[in-house]
Amino acid sequence: MAEYGPTLSTPAERTFEDSIPVVADPQLRMSHEQLYLQYEIKRTVREIREGQWRRIALQFPDEMLVDAPRVYEKLQSGLKTERLLSRQNSKLRTIGVDDSVPNGAITTQLTTNGKADHEQTDDPERLTILADTSYGACCVDEVAAEHVDADVVVHYGRSCLSPTARLPVIYIFTSRPLDLEEALVSFRQTYPSKDAKVCLVADIPYNHHLAALAQRFREEGYSNVFATEIRHDPASLIPNRSIPPEAQADPEKLREYSVFHISTPPSSLLLILTSRVGSIYILPTDTNLGTSSEAATMPLLRRRYGLVTRLATAAIFGILINTLSVKNYMTALQHCQDLIRKAGKKSYVFVVGKVNAAKIANFSEIDGWVVIGCWESSLIESKEFYRPIITPFELEIALQSDETRGWGSEWVGDFGTLLGRSSNIGDGAAQKTSELAGTDGDKHTAADNYDDHPSDDEPPEFDLRTGRYVSHTRPMGRANPNPTLPNHSDDGTSSYTAPPSSALVQRAKGDLATVNGAVSPAAEFLRSKRTWQGLGSDFEIAYERDDEGQIRGAAVEEGRCGVARGYAVGGDEART
Amino acid sequence: MVQFTVEELRELMDNPINIRNMSVIAHVDHGKSTLTDSLVQKAGIISAKNAGSARFTDTRPDEQERGVTIKSTAISLYGSLVDPEDLKDIPVKTTKNDFLVNLIDSPGHVDFSSEVTAALRVTDGALVVVDTVEGVCVQTETVLRQALGERIKPVVIINKVDRALLELQVSKEDLYQNFSRVIESVNVVIATYFDKTLGDVQVQPDKGTIAFGSGLHGWAFTVRQFATRYSKKFGVDKTKMMERLWGDNFFNAKTKKWTKIGTHEGQTLERAFNQFCLDPIFRIFDSVMNFKKEEIPKLLEKLEIKLTAEERDLEGKQLLKVVMRKFLPAADALMEMMILHLPSPAVAQKYRMETLYEGPPDDESAIGIRDCDPKGPLMLYVSKMVPTSDKGRFYAFGRVFSGTARSGLKVRIQGPNFLPGKKEDMFIKSIQRTILMMGRYTEPIEDVPAGNILGLVGVDQFLLKSGTLTTSETAHNMKVMKFSVSPVVQRSVEVKNANDLPKLVEGLKRLSKSDPCVLTYIAPTGEHVVAGAGELHLEICLKDLEEDHAGVPLRISDPVVQYRESVNGTSSMTALSKSPNKHNRLYMIAQPLEEGVAKDIEQGRIGPRDDFKARARVLADDHGWDVTDARKIWCFGPDTNGANLLVDQTKAVQYLNEIKDSVVSGFQWATKEGPIAEEPMRSVRWNIMDVTLHTDAIHRGGGQIIPTARRVLYASTLLADPGLLEPVFLVEIQVPEQAMGGIYGVLTRRRGHVFEEMQRPGTPLFNIKAYLPVNESFGFNADLRSNTGGQAFPQLVFDHWQILPGGSPADKTTMPGAIVETMRKRKGLKPEVPGYENYYDKL
Repeated sequence: MAEYGPTLSTPAERTFEDSIPVVADPQLRMSHEQLYLQYEIKRTVREIREGQWRRIALQFPDEMLVDAPRVYEKLQSGLKTERLLSRQNSKLRTIGVDDSVPNGAITTQLTTNGKADHEQTDDPERLTILADTSYGACCVDEVAAEHVDADVVVHYGRSCLSPTARLPVIYIFTSRPLDLEEALVSFRQTYPSKDAKVCLVADIPYNHHLAALAQRFREEGYSNVFATEIRHDPASLIPNRSIPPEAQADPEKLREYSVFHISTPPSSLLLILTSRVGSIYILPTDTNLGTSSEAATMPLLRRRYGLVTRLATAAIFGILINTLSVKNYMTALQHCQDLIRKAGKKSYVFVVGKVNAAKIANFSEIDGWVVIGCWESSLIESKEFYRPIITPFELEIALQSDETRGWGSEWVGDFGTLLGRSSNIGDGAAQKTSELAGTDGDKHTAADNYDDHPSDDEPPEFDLRTGRYVSHTRPMGRANPNPTLPNHSDDGTSSYTAPPSSALVQRAKGDLATVNGAVSPAAEFLRSKRTWQGLGSDFEIAYERDDEGQIRGAAVEEGRCGVARGYAVGGDEART
Repeated sequence: MVQFTVEELRELMDNPINIRNMSVIAHVDHGKSTLTDSLVQKAGIISAKNAGSARFTDTRPDEQERGVTIKSTAISLYGSLVDPEDLKDIPVKTTKNDFLVNLIDSPGHVDFSSEVTAALRVTDGALVVVDTVEGVCVQTETVLRQALGERIKPVVIINKVDRALLELQVSKEDLYQNFSRVIESVNVVIATYFDKTLGDVQVQPDKGTIAFGSGLHGWAFTVRQFATRYSKKFGVDKTKMMERLWGDNFFNAKTKKWTKIGTHEGQTLERAFNQFCLDPIFRIFDSVMNFKKEEIPKLLEKLEIKLTAEERDLEGKQLLKVVMRKFLPAADALMEMMILHLPSPAVAQKYRMETLYEGPPDDESAIGIRDCDPKGPLMLYVSKMVPTSDKGRFYAFGRVFSGTARSGLKVRIQGPNFLPGKKEDMFIKSIQRTILMMGRYTEPIEDVPAGNILGLVGVDQFLLKSGTLTTSETAHNMKVMKFSVSPVVQRSVEVKNANDLPKLVEGLKRLSKSDPCVLTYIAPTGEHVVAGAGELHLEICLKDLEEDHAGVPLRISDPVVQYRESVNGTSSMTALSKSPNKHNRLYMIAQPLEEGVAKDIEQGRIGPRDDFKARARVLADDHGWDVTDARKIWCFGPDTNGANLLVDQTKAVQYLNEIKDSVVSGFQWATKEGPIAEEPMRSVRWNIMDVTLHTDAIHRGGGQIIPTARRVLYASTLLADPGLLEPVFLVEIQVPEQAMGGIYGVLTRRRGHVFEEMQRPGTPLFNIKAYLPVNESFGFNADLRSNTGGQAFPQLVFDHWQILPGGSPADKTTMPGAIVETMRKRKGLKPEVPGYENYYDKL
């Protein structure tokens, strides 16, 4: 048996894959011209100059990091030239910009830069490369950007285009080539009828081809082809895309359309579109097969239903923060917490950075996870996770009672939409549930034989996954839908009530921590479900006492210190 | 016409010595419900003219339509012995000639045998009905075995004697031989499942534990009844007379002597049974059915039967029925047999306590049960749920074993997963009402003391199918019932209209409650699944679901079977997986679990709650395990009680107890979804060979160990020649010789094979036993019927799991491979079975 920790000789050949789909073919080293065009250096430089931002964070997804230094150099030299130029003719700088915005480029400007005075300070701009994003690569890592005190983030690669909370963003989509002829052939095969109503959608790196593609289709005689454009709106009927004008007035009209999607979309997009469009055809771009196939969205949706019903009897939820930058994430968190509390269940909030199986499995008392992230990354589908992970939308459904839970084909990924919806009906829904509870009660008292005594226990619930009864699914008590305990105030910060005394109290062995009178579910889990309860749980603590019965103190000794790789004991540097 | 009131019954309840709880069990169509009717007729709830055709205990319309009992039904009856002198013959002393008989009529079809199990649990005696012509059939044997397993004493009635007389026209001696053959085969079954505590319960006509009769005509007799008649005439002792009226005993009319030899001076003597018991019956049959009008009144006078004027005008079968019913009323014979020979709760609970109660035999609850003490702590077992007229609510049907159940009493409701001292699956609730269940009707009753069967209102929300109710805080559970059938056939249902979904979910819950065996759940693929014991069972369940419980139109898929994942051999090398941080390593090997152990786990003979030393003993003695291994079983899985084991074989590993919880979590997870097609695993034993752990607790937390445990379990499974298990039915077919060829053809086409073929003595009928994979059994009945001209009657019951033959499931070209591929596709997985390399880490 090894006395020390195992040696760390194993190469880290196995890393947990990022669960966010990445459209990536290994990019060959590209020429300077290619790089210049691909990363839209010119536009970036111009927009930075325009916004007069001094500190710029460059955020690359992992697979583009190889190009990062070169992009950095190019930008720096570009900015330098611009600076020199502008020094010469600063007054002409802003002229003729508006009409030359390249296709697909969007600049978000949430805050007007405070330094936007006309007296240009000509310090060189500071560029910083952000690698290893804390969450998904599709989201803007505002927190990391704030570490370098950046004024603006330049985001490279495909993006979920979720609105950001704090910083302006320049999106560079790094376009990819597409064989238009092949797409045309495949399109013809898919839609034999010339008057088929089709929405052309492409994954962001391919989006710039759409206009040309649509033009070709129209020339072919397809009269009802609509080429979508990128919009900055995850809540749109087709997320982040424009929709046909007739569908704007009546969302039902969109159901007549078929979506022809270039490149394989993330599964969250498939789920969202299932209920909104007639059919979805996918033209894969990672292979050269060039034939499109209809997406099987119904099985996918049904599996999500299976997952949701599985969590209907979960007692403890973990809320996983998977973004710190999408607008309204605090409100979404609040919303989820409220929902869970109203259902008499317990929630804990976790921020673990990039989600992986090991991190999640550390909390075995959690029955299910809700992830708050952007609309693309909040759908985490992996068998590797110990407990299922669902989205806030699915949480709403899971927490409904079995009598009301429906599952159509509707699926909402974006919590912004969800919040908007619930704020509209928010109070109504709460009332409705209390009414429902009321009618429930009435129904029971009507059949007066079954009237329940208030002191009776909560009946168990039917676990739809196993077909058995499970008890204690609502550890915090259902009887009290609007608990009197101090709630979170409206501004989203929780009001904290100090405990009555701050003096140390010795806890009797076996005592459980309580939260407002209810036993803490996690503590209960530790006590009842674990055989190993931590160091010291397997023996009685006996203090040495002196003659008067006082606890005798002992001299403090220096223990081990250091990191797990090796420790130093006491003063000497020898590692053990 | 009600001859008793609830008050009268309530009074009887206080005297457990005068109570008989019994169930009527038999093979399908041997006439249980019809026979029950004649008893109900005696208690006077339905009028005499409907008895024999009303099937009082078949409460559902489809039961009446199909003529098949689906649900077991209870009724309470009042009975007394015709001759108060007979009270002396009851083994336990009683002075009152008032008896309360709680009778449960149970279904005979094998698909519903879970109902039988539920009925047997709350009764102490069983009336086994056997068809004279068909004899002891499969289900007779099954239910008898179940009854003896629950320590339930049997008495037998050989039914449908009228058929033997009318249709087969047998002679007296042939009939006697037939009877003794049937009795012998019953006794063979009883001897096979001999239980020392229950003692010898073989049935003998001369002891009065066998009756002969016809449920349809409403008559029956025991040898004892005739003995009573003749003992006065001959002036001999009744017991002696009984002995003489069965077996090789002859009465020589010339010498007026009893003899054991069947001939006298070259002349064949008539057997006493034939002469004294069968002869009057034969004569009645002969004269009535052959319209010998002049003989009838003489005969009636001789037998002291009085007919009313109306009845005298009847002819043929109608007259026969009336005469026989007056001559030998079935209810009298049965009542007498039950009262004399079946044990009262006070007697039965003494020896049944240890098979009924999980806790120690000396705690207050155990003593309460043992003594059938109405003043002891309440111990009540709910064995099934019966739907009420109020949709979605149920009566909890059960028996009070100790204490007294009354309205308003606050009880602890303990579900099947309850463990003493833990809060899980335990609820406190007051009983709202106690009721008597009487066929289609219920009667409210104030309270019910120990030893009685009752219905409860208001506890249904707390129990899914069964459970224990008690007032004692230290009480353990009553033993959970084990069914002889498993829900191996399943169909998925979906609503036609998406808005009906909540109704379907609600309906599934109710369905699950209303049947002891059915399983309803939502699969990970999002399908709603209903699983039942067989095709008929599923059909009935789905009909109930659509028409009653959910009440919405449904789309129902074709039946499919559930598979299990298992291994064929031992892992070819020790599997190793490293934790995500590479600091911890787990080493395991997988090997097949002995079939006997897997079966014992599923039958509850070996379980996670047993004392580990006792369990180790059983494993060592019965299954040849190494005792040290057997003591180091970490857990059962999936769902903490499945038939897979994790055994710790490590030597001196530090911190091992700290990671046990995490490894167990990983084990539960992995056994629920196996590596081949994410089906549950079965019959695999994993040995933990070695473990290396980081010295720091933080680096060997759940996050590191749980996923690793799952990976190493998968890797070792994939290294041990994995296979799929499919369920197999035991088929028993009764068929005339000439139709046998057709059976073989059908069975071979469906991958079945015959392993036993036996001619039934004295008949041209053959009994064929075969194994048939459940997957191939769909439509088997119809196929068989068309291939044998409708002469074969199969009975299918789940028997065991077998490895799906044909090769490795990882190879797509084999049959298992093809099945696995479709399953994986349906579940949205990659079509290829992952290789062990996906889970195995190199050192």
